[in-house]
Amino acid sequence: MNNRFLINYIPGSTPIHKLNGTTKVLGFIAITVAIIATFDFRVMLAIFALCMLGVASMKPNWKPVAFMFGFLFVMNGIIGSLMVFLISPESGLTKTGMETIFWQTEGGKLYMSWELLWYAWAMFFKRVTSLSSAILFILSITPSELAAGLNSLKMPYKVCTIVSLAFRTIPDIARDFTDIKNSMQMRGVELEKASLPNKLKQYVMMLVPLLMSSFAKVENISNSMDLRSYGKCKGRTWYSEHPATKGDYIARGVIVLMFLWCAFYIIFFRNINAPAVDFWCPWVPKEISGYWF
Amino acid sequence: MLKKFLGEWNTKTIVAVAIGAALYGVLMVWGSIPVFTNTNLTSAMIVPVVVGALFGPLPAMVSLLVGNCLADLIGGWGFWFDWSVGNGVLGLFVGLLPMYGADIKNGIFKIKHAVIYVICCIVGNALAFGVVTPIMTSLFYSADLEITFLQSFAGGISNTAVLVIVGLPILFILSKRYASRTNLVEEPEELTEE
Repeated sequence: MNNRFLINYIPGSTPIHKLNGTTKVLGFIAITVAIIATFDFRVMLAIFALCMLGVASMKPNWKPVAFMFGFLFVMNGIIGSLMVFLISPESGLTKTGMETIFWQTEGGKLYMSWELLWYAWAMFFKRVTSLSSAILFILSITPSELAAGLNSLKMPYKVCTIVSLAFRTIPDIARDFTDIKNSMQMRGVELEKASLPNKLKQYVMMLVPLLMSSFAKVENISNSMDLRSYGKCKGRTWYSEHPATKGDYIARGVIVLMFLWCAFYIIFFRNINAPAVDFWCPWVPKEISGYWF
Repeated sequence: MLKKFLGEWNTKTIVAVAIGAALYGVLMVWGSIPVFTNTNLTSAMIVPVVVGALFGPLPAMVSLLVGNCLADLIGGWGFWFDWSVGNGVLGLFVGLLPMYGADIKNGIFKIKHAVIYVICCIVGNALAFGVVTPIMTSLFYSADLEITFLQSFAGGISNTAVLVIVGLPILFILSKRYASRTNLVEEPEELTEE
């Protein structure tokens, strides 16, 4: 379970870690917009490469990262693609514009086309890209930096406090959760191999003590915050916020370029000159797909 | 009425919303049973019920929105902004509890409130996962509309199931607990003055 923690609480020492909170939040927004905007595999590959480069430069613990990608592969790569195949095999045609069927059942209800495979792969890859950007973001940022960054983007500081506080309490709550789970298992409650209704029941039994212990913290924390005059003034400064450095200006330059590119891409390639189909596919001729490069 | 809707944004509410969001994140990642792709039968759905009951709809919504973003970031499935927004809408509906007179803090939660609560859960799920999420998913991620609907349908059903089957007993337990603490009878005005 602890294997899956990627949250940083201590600022790291690599160039990306040293960036300002504002830069990191802006960068994440830019990458997310770029990922949402595109269905072109080549663009996604570029974004993915960029994100993974960033992740690699931070020298992370690769084990949880690999686990996340593996999990995504099973959930979306295999099961998701299987569903596309079972429920709407025609989406190969509607999403890429062509259909080259290479296998079908007797009645023709289920069939498999190369384009369908490509569509499933591209969809999966979009998710992979999204995950890589999330990993990049979560590895680079500490909760306070996140709050400071959000606040500098004119988010009300109370919301920022919520975000950073939630981030901070996750390990505590996760520890409580494990403790409760372990003590339940010590008393002979089966959680791993139980049937579904039983499993649900066990989870509910774990829920009540967890809720109690978590919300019992509220009083303590809010009292100590009140004692330190939280919320008495309109604004707030952040301990982790530091003035922008040279690296920040470079990163912000890249981010501005990225935003401009997104705007251009969305206006030009998704609206004015929109291709006939969403997904670019290497062997579909451009007369059909409408992708003219 | 508006005040009940917005909730009181004092320090206590902020901390409770934050803890709720963290709890949501943890339960979403470790306390759920996958039933479908991208869909879990998750005990995390209890968070908006408790936050909503104690603090009102808007805190429940923020808690769910932030919690979902957190869960996305730590859970290992990427950032799915469409589902977060859908969950926020759901939180708003689930957290409507104080709006129709259910007052958990004073131990008021009757059968009437339970019925309205169930209706709210169903309407909220239908709106969040029948309208908001599928539209956003197909708009932003161009997933197949049929599959998206199926996914969000499964999500809505499992959420409703958790909200009703787990949420109702917890609401009754909570209101009972609070009622036993507040069994004081209100005294006449002049006696309470110090």
